[in-house]
Amino acid sequence: MAMTAGPILEAEGVRVRYAGATAPALDGVTLAVQPGEGVALLGANGAGKTTLLRAAMALVRPERGTLCVAGRDAARCTPEEFADVAGYLFQQPESQLFEQTVRAELGFGPRQLGWAPAPIAAAVAEQLDALELMDAADTHPYDLPSPRHRVVALAATLTVRPRLLLLDEPTAGLDRAARQLVIRAVLRVRTRGAAVLAVTHDGDFALEALDRGLVLEAGRVVADEAIAGLLGSRPDVPELPAAARLSGRLGLAVSSPRFAAVTDALAAHCRSRG
Amino acid sequence: MSAVRFAGVSLRYSGAPADALGGITLDIASGSVSWLFGSLGAGCSSLLLVAAGLAPRHSGGTLAGQVTTLGENPHETAGRRALAGRVAYVMATPGVQLSGVAATVWDEAAFAPANLGWPIARIAAAVDAALGRLGIAHLAARHPAALSGGELQRVVIASMLVLAPELWLLDEPASALDRDGRRLLAELLRVEAARGAAVVVATEDADAMLELAQRVIVLDHGRVALDGPPANVLAGEAVWVHADESTTVAGLARAAGRLDSPPPPALRPPYPLTVSEGLARWR
Repeated sequence: MAMTAGPILEAEGVRVRYAGATAPALDGVTLAVQPGEGVALLGANGAGKTTLLRAAMALVRPERGTLCVAGRDAARCTPEEFADVAGYLFQQPESQLFEQTVRAELGFGPRQLGWAPAPIAAAVAEQLDALELMDAADTHPYDLPSPRHRVVALAATLTVRPRLLLLDEPTAGLDRAARQLVIRAVLRVRTRGAAVLAVTHDGDFALEALDRGLVLEAGRVVADEAIAGLLGSRPDVPELPAAARLSGRLGLAVSSPRFAAVTDALAAHCRSRG
Repeated sequence: MSAVRFAGVSLRYSGAPADALGGITLDIASGSVSWLFGSLGAGCSSLLLVAAGLAPRHSGGTLAGQVTTLGENPHETAGRRALAGRVAYVMATPGVQLSGVAATVWDEAAFAPANLGWPIARIAAAVDAALGRLGIAHLAARHPAALSGGELQRVVIASMLVLAPELWLLDEPASALDRDGRRLLAELLRVEAARGAAVVVATEDADAMLELAQRVIVLDHGRVALDGPPANVLAGEAVWVHADESTTVAGLARAAGRLDSPPPPALRPPYPLTVSEGLARWR
């Protein structure tokens, strides 16, 4: 696959207004996301976060401004025409599960794109393994506990190896093991050069899996900076995780507020005190 | 008073190879917040559904044992009638819980009391108050379908608050809420418990529940694995089969302690639970 140079997602002055709404949901949004970047979309409920994801999947059209993914103009494309470059995990994953087995669900995207059977099987096997779904491969998605629907839907978005991954609350309702799977999956796709744009209220997830934070307020970008400094700095973004807050209050010397770094620093602090 | 009492309750969904709940006996008191906690498939959601009388009635499957909710049997028609309007159930996916017949947020919040035949003045007062307490009075005239996920979650919670329920059963109620919404919800549940309601929350959000819950019930494969005040349960070792170290101060202490053998005294159990307890220990 040829990688175009430059940003994978580029938005310029994007305004989106839903039918019948007085205020626009997005109003003058400008941003660029580079390959491999992990961007948290933060902000209060109703600020426009999900709308920005939808615009990036060509699910809603800007009434003003332009939004391009891999150089393709969202205003001139259907969501299907984005399906080979962008993957979307919906806030309600049930709305994107319609096959009879988990295995068939994971193969849905590549089948629609006309992949040959062998690469489909390989991509499905890879994601079943990566997201620990082997035991559920032949189960109907709806027979799994509902939090696992999200993991299945994420795996299904990953089989086409999207260059832009759009995630809406990817860790909502997940347990410890599933959260770690999602964090690892995000870091993995970023390592292979895909960009991730994730709406989240989960400060731990944002800190561990992403490195840039974008805050929306009433449809406008009001902050765009490193995630570590952004968390907890405004009332409409999640707090830093407890470990990072504690580290700050204790004045520990940490290389980052991520859990592993705080753990090392706390151990050193306690060791030195005997 | 006992709000929820399970005596040897087992649930198996149709076609499932194992019990979702395997012989649970417990008693949940009114006037307090209980935190249900466990891995995926541990049975937290099933326990809430059974307490509400929704499973196996809507899911299919078989139930054994005795369930008593607010003194009634929610698995019999007479019991369900007696419980109408007294139990608030908040689903993990708010979009699924909407009535589907309300064209505005206000009407959605009025749906349950209208069905109970409340006088309109009482409905109006309760709806206005509930929307205000969830910070969504400005959304009253909006169509529920036009809301964001977090706004919808607030609407669903407000729609239950309208009833002034005696029992709250909440499944990951803050999953889409912003920080302000989480603060509002925590405060609301604290006030509801103080008013005398029983509040049962199934959530992975340990950080929030440590500040709120008087009791944590840890489920594992459909059975009660641990049960007690969060301070006792999280300060010990057994909980860490189920809990994520990286989200709590106690988990941080345990993870840091593991780096040395033996751990320095400051990193041995009982672990501090909150940021302030951690400061007191390590400053």
